[in-house]
Amino acid sequence: MIKRILVCVKLVPTATSVEMDGQFRLKRDGTSLQLNIADVSALEAALRLKAATPDAEVVVLSMGPAKTSQTLQELYALGADRVILLSDPALAGADSFATAKALVAAIRCLGDFDCLLCGRRAIDAETGQIPGQLAAALGIPAVTNVQQLTARDNGFLCQRRLENGTAQLEIAAPCLLSVCEYTYPLRLPGIMGKRRARDKQVEVLTAVAVGLSAEECGLRGSKTKVIRVDTRAPGLRKCRYCETDVLAEKIREVQL
Amino acid sequence: MKQELLLIQGTLPDMGLQSKAAQLALKGHLTLRVISGANLEAATADDGAIAKALIPQAQNARVILAPATTRLRAILPMLAWYLQAGLTADCTHLDISPDGTLLQTRPAFGNSLIATIETVSGIQMATVRPGTFPVSEGAEQIPVETLQEKPAQRVKLLEFVPLADSVPLGEAKIIVAGGAGIGSSAGFLKLADFAGRIGGVVGASRNAVDAGYVPYSAQVGMTGITVCPKLYIAVGISGAVQHLAGMSGSTTVIAINSDPKAPIFQYADYGIVGDWESIIDQLMEELS
Repeated sequence: MIKRILVCVKLVPTATSVEMDGQFRLKRDGTSLQLNIADVSALEAALRLKAATPDAEVVVLSMGPAKTSQTLQELYALGADRVILLSDPALAGADSFATAKALVAAIRCLGDFDCLLCGRRAIDAETGQIPGQLAAALGIPAVTNVQQLTARDNGFLCQRRLENGTAQLEIAAPCLLSVCEYTYPLRLPGIMGKRRARDKQVEVLTAVAVGLSAEECGLRGSKTKVIRVDTRAPGLRKCRYCETDVLAEKIREVQL
Repeated sequence: MKQELLLIQGTLPDMGLQSKAAQLALKGHLTLRVISGANLEAATADDGAIAKALIPQAQNARVILAPATTRLRAILPMLAWYLQAGLTADCTHLDISPDGTLLQTRPAFGNSLIATIETVSGIQMATVRPGTFPVSEGAEQIPVETLQEKPAQRVKLLEFVPLADSVPLGEAKIIVAGGAGIGSSAGFLKLADFAGRIGGVVGASRNAVDAGYVPYSAQVGMTGITVCPKLYIAVGISGAVQHLAGMSGSTTVIAINSDPKAPIFQYADYGIVGDWESIIDQLMEELS
């Protein structure tokens, strides 16, 4: 029986272009934020598992600037039982290794869980590395790129999308599953949910509170370092607007 | 002193990356070793078990590379954690200094920025976007070791359904790629019909794949396949940087889009603004 589902979510900039500071860190202030698109699927999957299992609890964990707590608070209205934000200026500039380390420290403070769900990648950095790093650090099995999942016995059944086909897998709990974008559309908050959310607060944890030392955090705790950033030049080709006869001619040329 | 460049190949070996790895090993004064986990990937579904089996293989590695396939993008982060090593995802360019420092380049933050990254840990790890590097002669002659490992228990493969038609997108001379603007699976059938008539194959943007119009195998771009056909016809594709990264190496690019402001036109040699269906109909007529 499922007792607790953890969901890791990230708020990402809504803008298609972002700015960076002098140390090549993403400027997260001043840009509007939204729930990362694959994390939406992970959260909805968790809420569905909860709906199918009485007494199951959904705990949402996010890492980011303090101001993200406003957006995260709305997740209570959807049915999250606890929303936790790991937030500390010391964590800024973390690469995937340092991010995984921080999340693991926070997860260890939350107690046992049956399933850790996350999106398969974030649309800002697109590394998709956090799920694998979390699973290795927590010593639990993992399936990435999940397109469908259901609870079964002491584990989960899931469908994994691969380049050359689809794998149907059975995984034992506790485990990590990373979910694809658009797998499950997120529900809308109901009146009851909104009412319940009113008196709930996002629990904010600092790096020290989860037992992280300064050396383990942010840029200092990272294993990779951005040494240069170049702007990709737009408009590498000069477009000639034309009619279909010119295109047909081009196609014939290539066919020869 | 760690002196090996370890290349890990999976079910879909990237011979271009194998060629690149040989060049990097030479320049960085490292010994190239190629390990294949393909047999394991078929036998077990547990990526964690494969990652663990790779730990002893990495003892002498200064650099570890792998193609950024779905499975290796799950396995490498696990291995990186076990080795406490830095890992850069989905690189599009690699270079190495004579002392073995790996320079890893990748598009960053899903837009117009290209970041060059160095690893501060002893072992430098990177996954590389499949199809990024051209295959050079002799890549097949590099000996490949096979990874042996005990089957895992925690994840069980119940069934594997292969894709009905594995499109050899990477080898196509002409690619007709559709985006979200195609609007439906039926629309993609029409594109496939057109592609078939002109001797091309169908590709797609991530939005079209995510919308379920077309299988993932057709996805061109940062999280799909990188292609460089003689002719790339982008239909109803707005031209997100992630997509452009996967097709900008094409010899000629034609863009068909109803939005004159779509960024794809900045990356096209020829463009038509208008309804894609009527344009394709007209093209079919002219080519028949």
